[in-house]
Amino acid sequence: MPIKNIVVSIANAATSLVTAKYAIYLAKLLGAKLTVVFVVNKGVMQELLRSRVFVEVEAIEYEHDLEEQGKQFLDRVKKLAEAKGVDFEGSLLKGVVHDEVVNKVKELNAELLVMGEVKEMLSIKDSFYDEGKRIFYETPCPVIIVKNPQEVERLYKEI
Amino acid sequence: MMKISTYVKKEYCIMDLKALTKEEAIAEIVASFGTGGKVKDKNAFIAEIMEREALGSTGIGCGVAIPHARTEGVEEFIIGFGRSKEGIDFNALDGSKVNLIFVMGSNPKDMNLYLRLLAELAKNLMDENFRKTILQAESAEEVVSIFQKSVSR
Repeated sequence: MPIKNIVVSIANAATSLVTAKYAIYLAKLLGAKLTVVFVVNKGVMQELLRSRVFVEVEAIEYEHDLEEQGKQFLDRVKKLAEAKGVDFEGSLLKGVVHDEVVNKVKELNAELLVMGEVKEMLSIKDSFYDEGKRIFYETPCPVIIVKNPQEVERLYKEI
Repeated sequence: MMKISTYVKKEYCIMDLKALTKEEAIAEIVASFGTGGKVKDKNAFIAEIMEREALGSTGIGCGVAIPHARTEGVEEFIIGFGRSKEGIDFNALDGSKVNLIFVMGSNPKDMNLYLRLLAELAKNLMDENFRKTILQAESAEEVVSIFQKSVSR
């Protein structure tokens, strides 16, 4: 089965840049289109509103700031992809992270999802709070978990 | 994935707050963060927390308050805890006095982590048994241990 569509899920973390670079490497190697998904985590904000830790105006402010961070991050990844001649599409979404990522994979009929490292599951409860694990379990296509940042950096430079 | 238990430290737990007011309680807990650590500017941090309180009380009910702020005055995520036997008026949403106060702060760059840890703490504190064990804890070490155990529940 040829891999024409790769989705990569990133958050605003230094490790996400490594994940993105590996996805760029794969897309270049396979001649696939790369869709980079950044989700503004509205799920956690709704939880904070429900538990009354947040007030409405505060949640709006955080959402706005997360959106800005997402735009900046996608822009950064776009430049990395373009530098390697990879067909790139950025997707800034809002909602519950695992739902949005899984829906995007389904919508695009992506053949591969690339994501950052999933930590060891400590408890059943843990699996419900870790968006990464939920994406991993619920995605219908094969998933690649990126590890070893030094090796990723080497591969990225190689292409 | 970093859990709230990673950040709960015994040196930031005050088992018997002297404070009688919301402002005093927040200042007393922030003072426990010491000098030259994660909090670069304690006064700025307290000011940000009080600014947030002005929007609406973080006294979420059931004797719990989670005053919080993200500010450049904090270098990385920090949490402090204070317990008041008598209870402190926090203008809580249910009108009850607050016995368990968790002060949280973060640098704006760590927004995702901050939101996740805030939500995790709130979720834990909604559990009556969890609140009860914290209320009955005999030492700061026990509070730390309660949080560590909460990860594996």
